Amino acid sequence: MDYQAMLSWALPMGVGLAAVGSGLGLGRAVGSAMEAIGRQPEASGKIQTAMIIGAALIEALTIYALVVFFMMFGKIG
Amino acid sequence: MKENLDLGFLDRTLRTTGIVLLIFLPFGLYYLGVFPALAVFSGGVWGILNFVFISALVRTTFRAEGPNKHRTVALMLFKFPLLYVSGYFLLKVPQFDVLPLVAGFTTLFAVMTLKALGRLVLALDDKEQPHERVPKAL
Repeated sequence: MDYQAMLSWALPMGVGLAAVGSGLGLGRAVGSAMEAIGRQPEASGKIQTAMIIGAALIEALTIYALVVFFMMFGKIG
Repeated sequence: MKENLDLGFLDRTLRTTGIVLLIFLPFGLYYLGVFPALAVFSGGVWGILNFVFISALVRTTFRAEGPNKHRTVALMLFKFPLLYVSGYFLLKVPQFDVLPLVAGFTTLFAVMTLKALGRLVLALDDKEQPHERVPKAL
């Protein structure tokens, strides 16, 4: 298997893994936040803040993976 | 309850990031050149818009009194197709390198981390807030 073939196999796999990982992480974060808001509705502001920051960081990681995909995509012949 | 890490923290972070980007722009234009500076600025603005939409989506959807469905659908229709397509076209602009765009996008997280670190180092969250003061019993 040459370099081009390996890259064309690894790039979509990498983005797919990043998407699956961020989806699982976001799902876990939202689920836990919902439980916490249900248990303590008066603390929803703080919980939402933590959740928004967490969601933004998780999404940023996926966007970085996508950016790397676009950077390396040009190297596939 | 302390208000330091409440939703106001996010608004303050967004404002600070906007100011940092505006301060960076003239220096970037002078030292880096027109297109790298514009790429950093565009990446930063895109990051701010993305964060605003994430924040609005979470505030509208995940709240104690239930989601506002119409607003959630409107936000999703705006965020996912329009914002991501604009991000894709930003990446495809031939004059813009990927690295300055990513650097601009990361500015928001750098500002957020530094603000949180500053609060931690100065122990601002541990200090007693004026409205929390309880008069001492005689």
